[in-house]
Amino acid sequence: MKTIRLLLVDDEDDFRQTLSKRLAKRGLAPDQAANGNECLSILNKKAMDVVVLDVKMPGMSGIEVLQNITDNYPKTEVILLTGKATASDGVEGIKSGAFDYLTKPIELEHLFNKILQAYEKIQRLDAEQKEAQYRKQMEQQMIVTERLASLGTLAAGVAHEINNPLAIIRESAGWMRQLFEKDELKDVPRHEDFVKALDKVEKSVERASRITHQLLGFVGKSESAVAEVNLTEVAEEAIQLITHEAQNRDIKIIRQMEPSLNSIWSDAYQIRQVLLNLLTNAIHAVNFDGTITIAVEDVGDSQVITVSDSGQGIPRENLDKIFEPFFSTKPPGQGTGLGLFVSRGIIEKLGGTVEISSKIGQGARFCIRLPKHQKKTDEFDESRGESWVEKIKSRFTEEKGEKSS
Amino acid sequence: MIKIPIRVLLVDDEKDFVEMLGLRLEEAGENVTSAYSGQECLKVLKKKEIDVVILDILMPGMDGIATLKEIKNRFPLVEVIMLTGHGTTESAVKGMKLGAFDYLLKPAHFGELTAKLESARKRKDEQAERIRKAEVKLLLRKSGDI
Repeated sequence: MKTIRLLLVDDEDDFRQTLSKRLAKRGLAPDQAANGNECLSILNKKAMDVVVLDVKMPGMSGIEVLQNITDNYPKTEVILLTGKATASDGVEGIKSGAFDYLTKPIELEHLFNKILQAYEKIQRLDAEQKEAQYRKQMEQQMIVTERLASLGTLAAGVAHEINNPLAIIRESAGWMRQLFEKDELKDVPRHEDFVKALDKVEKSVERASRITHQLLGFVGKSESAVAEVNLTEVAEEAIQLITHEAQNRDIKIIRQMEPSLNSIWSDAYQIRQVLLNLLTNAIHAVNFDGTITIAVEDVGDSQVITVSDSGQGIPRENLDKIFEPFFSTKPPGQGTGLGLFVSRGIIEKLGGTVEISSKIGQGARFCIRLPKHQKKTDEFDESRGESWVEKIKSRFTEEKGEKSS
Repeated sequence: MIKIPIRVLLVDDEKDFVEMLGLRLEEAGENVTSAYSGQECLKVLKKKEIDVVILDILMPGMDGIATLKEIKNRFPLVEVIMLTGHGTTESAVKGMKLGAFDYLLKPAHFGELTAKLESARKRKDEQAERIRKAEVKLLLRKSGDI
């Protein structure tokens, strides 16, 4: 049991000392105050759980002190001590917020139990408050998760619908380009302007279709091809794909692969896609002259791939947002803001996690943890939102269970 | 070199898309027929000599995969290029296992498409050529028997 912080307030020195000694023998050594002012100044310096307060005191009366305590220290419980003739003061006290009152002469046993009861009440209130806070936090988290999930589904639906008109725009523009390339249209006035405009149309279609494809890459993959995957090999393949770009920018790639790593069960294609995304981000972060480190290691029931760079790092306010869809720090048209969103989606679908740590000026570090054996996860993304919510809900009930046990 | 037109059958439920892509392919010198559903595609194949079918995977009614199976079953020499719109790459792989020549992501690059058309037609011609030779051999052997 945690020690109860107890304050004994009574103007009769003898009574107070004796009571204090006897309580101390029971393991409840109280602080002492001889009057109301002293009581309040102690409370001001040191939080108390229970105050045992004599009502009839010279100067500030017990009731006044009580009111002050309930106003300023709502977490502190007060037990009043009244004389036989002034029992009505006790009733008044309870109305003003005292836990209970005892009539003098008091029995120690009685007082002791009351103090324990008061303390239990404090603990109960405390627990309730914590739980309410926890619940509120969970609810907020759930709202965010649901919003993100439905946003993802919505975005993918939109992408799906936009792809068809995009194809039509592309073919129409392409056809016009073909026409303008023909001899018969060579001498059309302002020929160049038309071609220039067509250029813009085609480039924009390109840009829009990059976005839709990335979104659909996230949601469209309903079935993943799970097979034996050697993460070192996958990492090596991903590195191969960006080596050229890295060389052009004087970026050194450092490998820290644990040798002879066993294969895991996962989806090589998707992991490579994620790694490629992380490596490309790293290259953009470093920009010119620096290092990118890619490490693969075995940690018990999972394997971990870490991609770190020597770039400028990610500001703290962006760390929370970095996995959100359409969050990008690149200029418009250059980043879709979907890379990390999609990457995280993929890794989570494979039963793994992605974590990020970064400090301004010290680069960023992405850590992908993949289980060695894949648990069967949700096949379709429509159910994704629900499953997240379910997960959180079950976690909530679990923790609640632990608390009450 | 004179371009020999490829006889293309374009199958997609999105009419505007079929129209525009058709115009482009015509412009590039191909011979284009259009169909807006799987059933229509099969009907055309029955009536008309086609080299390559460009086939959308996601169509209402009879989808691309079902159409592909039917094409390969009834017109095994016709080559098929699958068009996949919506991250349906898995269906494209499935399509290729079922005998499709190749696939393209929609919206596709026109250059890529024409290149694939060309190689699909080439494969069809080679296959037709092999069959013709085999038939000639067979014929010769038969006539030799007489």
